[in-house]
Amino acid sequence: MSSDFLLRPLPERPALSEAAPWQYPLPTDRYLDNGMRVVVHHLPGQHIVSGCVVVELPLSSEPRHLEGIATITARCMDEGTATHPGTGYAEELASEGAALSLAVGQAGLQVFLDAPVSRMDRALALFAEALVRPTLAAEDIERHVDLRLAEIEQLLSRPTSFTPILLRAVVFEPTNRAQRLIGGNRACLANIRPDDVWAFHGTHLDPTRATLVLGGDFSRNDPMPLIESVFGPWRGIGLPPAAHPMPTPGPPRIVLADRPGAVQANIALGGIGPDRLDPDWADLKVATHAVGGAFWSRLNRVLREERGFTYGISMGMLPFRRGGAFNVASSFRTDVAAAALDEARGLMSLEDAPLTADEVTDAVSYATGLAPLGFATARGVVDQTASNVLNGLPLGHVNDHLARLRAVTPESATRAYTVMADPARISIVVAGDAELLLDPLSDIGLVPDEVVHPEDIVG
Amino acid sequence: MQGMARPSVHLDYPVHERTLDNGLRVVVSPDPATPSVAVNIWYDVGSRHEVSRRTGFAHLFEHLMFQGSAHVEPAQHIAILEAAGARANATTSFDRTNYYESGPAGLLDLALWLEADRLGTLPTALDQANLDNQREVVKEEKRQRYDNVPYGDTLQHLLALAFPAGHPYSHPTIGSMEDLDAASLDDVRTFFETHYMPNNAVLTIVGDVTPDQAWARAERYFSPIAARTQPPRRTTPPLPALTGSPRTELEQPVPSDAVYLCWRLPAMDSRAYDALRLAFDVLGDGQTSRLYRALVRDSDLAESADSGTLGLIDGTSLGFVVARARDETTAEQLEAALREHVALFLAEGPTADELTRARAQHERVTLQNLAALANRADLLSGYTVLCDNPELVNQRLAQVLGLTDTDVVLTSQYLLRLENCATLVYHSTL
Repeated sequence: MSSDFLLRPLPERPALSEAAPWQYPLPTDRYLDNGMRVVVHHLPGQHIVSGCVVVELPLSSEPRHLEGIATITARCMDEGTATHPGTGYAEELASEGAALSLAVGQAGLQVFLDAPVSRMDRALALFAEALVRPTLAAEDIERHVDLRLAEIEQLLSRPTSFTPILLRAVVFEPTNRAQRLIGGNRACLANIRPDDVWAFHGTHLDPTRATLVLGGDFSRNDPMPLIESVFGPWRGIGLPPAAHPMPTPGPPRIVLADRPGAVQANIALGGIGPDRLDPDWADLKVATHAVGGAFWSRLNRVLREERGFTYGISMGMLPFRRGGAFNVASSFRTDVAAAALDEARGLMSLEDAPLTADEVTDAVSYATGLAPLGFATARGVVDQTASNVLNGLPLGHVNDHLARLRAVTPESATRAYTVMADPARISIVVAGDAELLLDPLSDIGLVPDEVVHPEDIVG
Repeated sequence: MQGMARPSVHLDYPVHERTLDNGLRVVVSPDPATPSVAVNIWYDVGSRHEVSRRTGFAHLFEHLMFQGSAHVEPAQHIAILEAAGARANATTSFDRTNYYESGPAGLLDLALWLEADRLGTLPTALDQANLDNQREVVKEEKRQRYDNVPYGDTLQHLLALAFPAGHPYSHPTIGSMEDLDAASLDDVRTFFETHYMPNNAVLTIVGDVTPDQAWARAERYFSPIAARTQPPRRTTPPLPALTGSPRTELEQPVPSDAVYLCWRLPAMDSRAYDALRLAFDVLGDGQTSRLYRALVRDSDLAESADSGTLGLIDGTSLGFVVARARDETTAEQLEAALREHVALFLAEGPTADELTRARAQHERVTLQNLAALANRADLLSGYTVLCDNPELVNQRLAQVLGLTDTDVVLTSQYLLRLENCATLVYHSTL
C-alpha cells in the first residue's frame, strides 16, 4: 500500500519461530531434623533472594466462632520477636532491605521474604524469628483485629472486590469454611482475644507442617547451613497430617446486592469447580481461557469489542487444595447490565458451539509460551513452588501440567467444560442499583431469590 | 559525606543503543538466561500533551492503536500475540504512552511487525465504528476504576489543587466523560499525525537476542516508516511552591474520613526529587514509617497512613501523605496529627536509622523492578524518552543511594513546608 507515512511497503507478516524447549526448574528437597521441609532453587544471576514459608493449616481448623484467627495470627508475626521485641523487629528487617509479606488461603499460610542476595544471611535469620519465636503481644493482636474490622468496611465499598466474595458465599454451603471471608467477619473478629491467638499459634504452627521454599543465586553462598541453624531450633508439638475437607455446593441461587446510586452493576456467575489434581484440570484451563480468559475470548470479544458494554470480562478457575470453584466477573453500566448478563449466559454455553481446534491450539500456546517468562525471577519461581507445596502437588507440577495441556482436544475440553458449567447449576450475583435493575433482570427471566445488602452476606 | 550508601551489587545490564535513519531510537539489552523476549515502545506523548476540551485523548487513542491497521484486523493485535504465547498491552500516563509485548524469544519478529504495521498504517483502519466502540469501553473503564470506587476521584482533586487550570498536569489521564464524548474521527487522525512517528518514539528489546539480531529486525520492520516533523518540544517552567493553603473538602459515601497533604515537588530527573522520595519513604512507607507508627500503631487515630510521589518530567512533580481515620477519629483530628508529625519531621530531620531503612528498601525495590524482563524494558524506554540516557538503568540506584542525610534534611526543610501544602479532605456520609 502507499501512504504518506511509508517510504516503501512494510514487510510481509513473519512466521513464528519454534519456541525453545523449556522445563520448570526442579529444586532440591530435604527435611531438617525437626521435620521441616526445605526446598531450594538455585537460580544463577538473580540479585534478589526470595523465600516463602508454607504452613499447611486448613482454615476449617479455625473454631467456628473465631474465624479469621489464622489471619490475625499471621499478621502479628512480624510485630516483634523474642530476640527483637516490638518495632525493633520490623526495623531490623527494613534495614537489611528485606520485605516480609503474607497470604492466607483455605489450605494454610504463606509468609514471603524478599531481600538482596548480598544481605541474605541476616534476612534469613530474621525471617526465621518471625516463624519460630514471634512475640504476639496482646496490644498488637487487638490492634490487628481493629484494623481488620476497618478493612471489612473498605471491602464493602468496593464492588469489584466483594462481588466475587458474595458469589462464593452463594456457591458453597454454609457448612464450608470456604463459604465465608478468609480473614473472618465482624461477628467472629469481635470474639478474638489474645489468649485465643496464643493457643491457636501453639496448636497449629509446627515445623512438621512447614516448608521453606527458597530461590536465588547461591553460587557464592550455600544457604543450607544457615537454614539449619535458624530454623533447626523450631520445635513443635508434632501434629498428625492435616485434613482438607472437600467443600460442598449450595443450591444455585440468584442474588441481587443493592448499591443505590451505583453507576455500574458488577456481576459474578459461577459454581463448583475442581482442584488442580482433577483429571479434567488441563481441559478446564483450556476451555475457560477460550470462553473468558483470553483477550479474544468468546465473552470479551462480544461484550467489550463488539458491544462496548464493559472494560473487560473474565472467566477463571478458583482451585483450592481440594475442590474449588469457577467464576465469570465483569461490570457494566447500569442501563445495559441486564442485556449484557443475558448475552454472557448465552456465550458461556457450548451446547450449540463446541470449542474449536483453533481455540484449543491458541489456549495451549498461550500457557506454554508464557511459562518461561513468568519463571524468570526468583519471586516467580518461589511463588509457583510454594503454591505446589501448599496445594499438595509434586514439585514438577508445572512440567506435568504443560504436558497435559498439549494433550487437550476440542472434544475433551468441551466435555469437561459442559459438565462443570452446567447452566442449571450456575449461581449469579449482581451488585448494583436494585431499583433500576430489578425490572430489566426479570425481563430476561432472572428473578432474584434474594435482594440483600452486601453486609448481610459478608457478615 | 555522612549517611550515604553504595549499592550492594554492581549493576551491569548491557545497554546498546542505535538510531535508525527515520529517527527511531532502538535500545537493546541482551539477557540469555531464559528463552524469552520483551519488546517495549514508548511514544513521547501523554495526557500532558492534550489540548483543552480534549482531555482523556491520549488514552482513548491508545485504545484505538488496538483497533487494527492495514494488515491487522480490529482487536487482533492482542489476539495474535496471545495465540503466540505472549502477553501484550499498553498504558497511558501524564508523560508517555507505552506499548509492550513479552513472550518466547521467537516472538520478536511478529511483535515488531505488529508494532510497525500500526505505526506505519493506522489511519487506513480508523473508522467511526471502532472509535465509538472504544469510546464506550474507555467510559466503562472510567466508571469501573474511578467513578464506582470510594476515593476514586482523589487524583483528580489533588491535581486540581496542585496545578493551575490549563497546566499540562492539571487534569487526570482518564479525562472527562464530556471530552470523551466530544472526540471526533478528525481529532483522532490529527493526534496520530502529530505524535505517532518513529522520531518521537523509543523501541526497547530485552531478552534472548544479540544486538546484531535486534538491529537487523528493528531495521527490517521499522525503516520503511517515514520520519515526520516532530511536535515542538514542550517544556513548562517549574511551578513555585504552593501558597495560600488551598484545600478541598468533600462529602462522599466513602467508608472512612481521609486526609491528604500534598506538595509540588521538582521534576523527576532532579536530585531534589530523589531526596524527597527518600523523605516521603521515611514519612509513610511501611510499618516502620513515622506516620504509620504515630497514627496507626501508637495512637489508634488512623486505620492506615501512607505516602507517595508522582514523578513527572515537565517541571513539577507531586508528593503527598495520606491517612484514613478510624471510626472514633474526626477528620480535623486526623489532619492535625498529620501536620504535627510532618512538622516534627521537618524540625528534627530523619534519624540515621530511618534513612538507612529507606535506602535499603529503595535498593530492594529497584532490584526487584529490574529482575523481570518486561519491567527492565520499560525502565530502559523510560530513561531514554524522559532523561535521554538508557544507561541510567545501571546508574540510578547509585545516584539515589549517594544522596547524603544532609541532602534529604535540607531538601525537605526547603520544599515540604506546611505552609506550602494543599489539603484534600474526605468526610464520610455513611
